[in-house]
Amino acid sequence: MTAATATPATAVSPLLTRLAAERATGALLRDRGTLFLEHGRVVHAESPSTPGLGVLLTTGGGLAPERWNEAIDQAGARRQVARFLVDSGGLAGGELEICQLAAIFDAAFFALSPGSGPSRFRRGATHWIGSVRSVPAAAVERETRRRRELLDAVWPYPRLDTAPVVPRPAAPGQTVTARQRLLLRHADGVRTPADLAWVLGRPAFHTLLDVRRLAAAGLVETPHEPAPAPVAGASLPDWMTQTQTPDVALLRRLRDALEASL
Amino acid sequence: MPGIDECLLEAMALPGARGAALVDWSSGLALGTAGDSPVGDHETTAAETAELARAAAEYESFAPGESRAEAACAPGAEPGPGAAAGPPVEDLIVTTRTGYHVLRFVETSFDSSVFLHLWLDRADGNLALARHRLRTLAEGLVLR
Repeated sequence: MTAATATPATAVSPLLTRLAAERATGALLRDRGTLFLEHGRVVHAESPSTPGLGVLLTTGGGLAPERWNEAIDQAGARRQVARFLVDSGGLAGGELEICQLAAIFDAAFFALSPGSGPSRFRRGATHWIGSVRSVPAAAVERETRRRRELLDAVWPYPRLDTAPVVPRPAAPGQTVTARQRLLLRHADGVRTPADLAWVLGRPAFHTLLDVRRLAAAGLVETPHEPAPAPVAGASLPDWMTQTQTPDVALLRRLRDALEASL
Repeated sequence: MPGIDECLLEAMALPGARGAALVDWSSGLALGTAGDSPVGDHETTAAETAELARAAAEYESFAPGESRAEAACAPGAEPGPGAAAGPPVEDLIVTTRTGYHVLRFVETSFDSSVFLHLWLDRADGNLALARHRLRTLAEGLVLR
């Protein structure tokens, strides 16, 4: 059982809950993204923080960018881009659903992030992608909450989400997986997790999660938390304040060795 | 061209099928579910099976040939399109006292991390048939 089901759920967005209850159709606009509703269910979402469906589908080379653009030209006006892509043989129906769901939950995670500003609802607005699959609004809220908890459970350093990703050398004998290597290869010390998501054509949340996992494994630098303001009069000796970031990989190996010897 | 729901319904038509789900192993999200969950909650099962699938998909020992070749690539060399696509593991089978769990990875044309999970009753389920069927279903999801 997850904690989310055991405790009374606090609404991620009270407006979304209300719109779902009244089976509204339209676009819920927030600072960090937009959720499109149809009869109270989420049918699409997009966020400037996440690569959209087009980026996800075309980056890996599976769908030619020309075909994506063609679909928008041909079917954008009648708001059936998704159906056009499948009917024209550009994409399998199952693939489209998989990618669409990934995009919805990814954008919703950012759109529904705390402090995402006031919400507005544009009644009746629809998205040109058309309908693929719909998800209950409650499921989107629940998953958004679960994702926040998952990030902190993996490695509770939120600054990693926005700071440039700086790789660290692997410890001798440490495994770096193929997917991790691909991400690390593109981490040039300037790109943030969001930038990497665009380069790799992966959902932004997946990249945040991968970066937190990499940092937990000591393969990515964990940025310094902002130093607390020095307290006047209570100065500490330099050897206490000038400490380096702990070598995470080393600490983990030490812990493992200690546990093994118990 | 079947969608997620049709795919899961077909999986549930297998003898002894008790539950099925399409799960993203990177995030632990259930993209679709059918039937029952062994713990009464599909989301919990998805999160748990995702951890197992992620380990299998990422551990070096299960991907000897390919990952070695990739490690040998010159640093900075651009990987070909879809270099990371398609985990090298095809499926996982977990046998419990009362059932079988078959996890079948789905290969998509874009960078994704999804698998089909089928939970079968040990007495009524036919493991060989289920494996074969799941393979067809996973391919059907991406068939144009």
